[in-house]
Amino acid sequence: MKRRIASVAIVVAIGAIAVVVGAAFGSWAWGADEESSSVATVEEVESPPVCARSQRVSWQKLANEIRAPVYCPSWLPSPLVGQFGGRFFNGRSVDPDRSYLVSFVWFERSLGIVNEVHVNLRGYPGTTRIPACEDTLTVAGKTVRTKIPCFSDKRGTKRIGGATVTVYTANQGADQWHVLYAWRRNGTLYTLSEHVAEPYGVEEVISHLDRMMRRLVLVPPSA
Amino acid sequence: MRLTRKQLVGGAAASVLAAGGIYRLVDELTEAPTRTASGSVRPEQHLLDGVRVVRDNGVEVLVPPLHHEVVTAKLRVGASPSELHDARQNLEAALTQLDERFAATPSGLGVTVAWGLPYFSEYVPAQAERYLPVDLRATAARGETVRVLEDAIRFPSDQDSTRLETNDLAVLLRSDSLDHIAEGAATLFDDHDALFRVTSIRKGFVGGASEGGPGLPKQMALAAGIQGAELIPDGAQLFLGFTSTQKAGLGPSKIANLETLGYADLGPSGYFAHGTHLHLSHLFEDLAAWYQVFDFQERLDTTFRPGLVASPETQTVAQGPKDVQDERHVRHDYERHRRIGHSGSVQPASRLARDVVGPDGTRYPKGTAVPQRADFNTLDNPFFWTSEPGRDAYAEAPSAGLHFVIFNPTSDDFRRTRLAMDGVLPGGRLTFETGSRGQGFNSVLSTTHRQNFLVPPRAHRSFPLAELSA
Repeated sequence: MKRRIASVAIVVAIGAIAVVVGAAFGSWAWGADEESSSVATVEEVESPPVCARSQRVSWQKLANEIRAPVYCPSWLPSPLVGQFGGRFFNGRSVDPDRSYLVSFVWFERSLGIVNEVHVNLRGYPGTTRIPACEDTLTVAGKTVRTKIPCFSDKRGTKRIGGATVTVYTANQGADQWHVLYAWRRNGTLYTLSEHVAEPYGVEEVISHLDRMMRRLVLVPPSA
Repeated sequence: MRLTRKQLVGGAAASVLAAGGIYRLVDELTEAPTRTASGSVRPEQHLLDGVRVVRDNGVEVLVPPLHHEVVTAKLRVGASPSELHDARQNLEAALTQLDERFAATPSGLGVTVAWGLPYFSEYVPAQAERYLPVDLRATAARGETVRVLEDAIRFPSDQDSTRLETNDLAVLLRSDSLDHIAEGAATLFDDHDALFRVTSIRKGFVGGASEGGPGLPKQMALAAGIQGAELIPDGAQLFLGFTSTQKAGLGPSKIANLETLGYADLGPSGYFAHGTHLHLSHLFEDLAAWYQVFDFQERLDTTFRPGLVASPETQTVAQGPKDVQDERHVRHDYERHRRIGHSGSVQPASRLARDVVGPDGTRYPKGTAVPQRADFNTLDNPFFWTSEPGRDAYAEAPSAGLHFVIFNPTSDDFRRTRLAMDGVLPGGRLTFETGSRGQGFNSVLSTTHRQNFLVPPRAHRSFPLAELSA
């Protein structure tokens, strides 16, 4: 289990209570059957997302290796930069079933507070089923292993960037503590997730995921 | 944007008692449930009339008062008979004033005065020796005389830092109206500053979703900026997302009275008949872990019993006698899953193992719940106000938690139930590592404070035993 990140409260006047509550419910939502209304910059509206040349090579290699399209993120939450081998690159793995995981992370401990920005991109070529994870519980010397869904607690669906994504909030393995978007394309399940941790709460993570989804670039295999 | 209680909790107890703080928000977010206004003056202090029953998911659910407050205090008065006599008169007059002003109902004000062992041992030790009821069941089990009121203990899942408190008394105030609670607290404590030195003020709320909408816990946690607040299900009665006031899961009427189940010998005078025992504790709840690490099925397994089947939106689960787990079931779950559920694990200790007929002729069937809970969610950290912030590890930032308030017939009865929650069952202990996810709620809870109290009957609620000669 990953460490829980301590929360830091921000002081505001008590008079703002009603405003705060209104904002908390009005500014975002788990899912809706319509295009996300998150605000994009003028530049994004005007220019389609582009996978930078320096990154495209790595994503292309991955697509070729798994013989299926992959998604290159043209935008990641600050301070992440989606450069394979860069300072925020946290690894790339491909399993025998051709499923892949690419991870970017920033981590900092300051004054006892842990800050982390962590994004995972996954693909499961040839299958649209939610994968199973092994829940291992060792008590009093006995280990019980149970198969559980890797992505759970579905919180609705929404249409973003041409995909219908399902939002999951209780996830396992590398996606534990993450809010995860999952979508299906041509018989393949893809996921995008971000860790809920300082400095970003659920609301900001949802906003990031929406923006990342809109800025994904499909990279098909070249061979 | 997030809220703190900073501007409301910096002063002395007197100025804080009437302050609603963040809990004023409760009245803005929800309307008080419709209630019957009238209530009778019962001999028991801990029972409220007018508690509404609704049905959710086909289960009868009690709708508790929206607002709760507990004030703990040490006594300032001397232990001489004359001083105690005067103090008794003064407190009783204040309580009578509240009785006349408010019905003991959620729409009025429920006031429960409970006394800790330090009061009995320091102020009325000789009388306590004669009149404090003996717990017959615990005495037989342990081979020594055990009173119905004992010091609280740290349980296996408690941390070493869990503070065992030594207050002389605690007053529980319950109402749908924060103003009623403020008036009650002011009447008892502000106006009797010479009697009491307030040590802590604890506030909170419960429910507020019976009429629909997101519910109080979610809205309050969001307003306070609690991590994981967004993940609390709409309409949840408590932060952890499940209803906990199923009628069948709470002890009926007088079952928690000292005299009802025959656990206690009240002596020839029966001085404490219609009284009960109160355990008060505070615990933090790690909502982010609860909602992000545990999925719905694991939360269901953890809250009730492993393998329980319910649809994903379910918040209210039946807790009737036929739904009860006995020790055999709990052991089976442990052997198979290395897990126990919270409700399931405590039921071998908290439910009647056989039919019992109370002294008033009421029949309590096998499987009936004994404890009567009055716990409530809080954003206190750990208290709304404390006289010793350092000792209590007080912090200004709101934190999700629970002020656990439960009435059992005796300290030992609570102890048995709480031990069962840790896997210590009547037939032997199930071994868990500290903080194990297999051990029900315990991996997301941390208890900060505990104390046991005796709740005298209404007739003796003010400085009990002080009117009797030593």
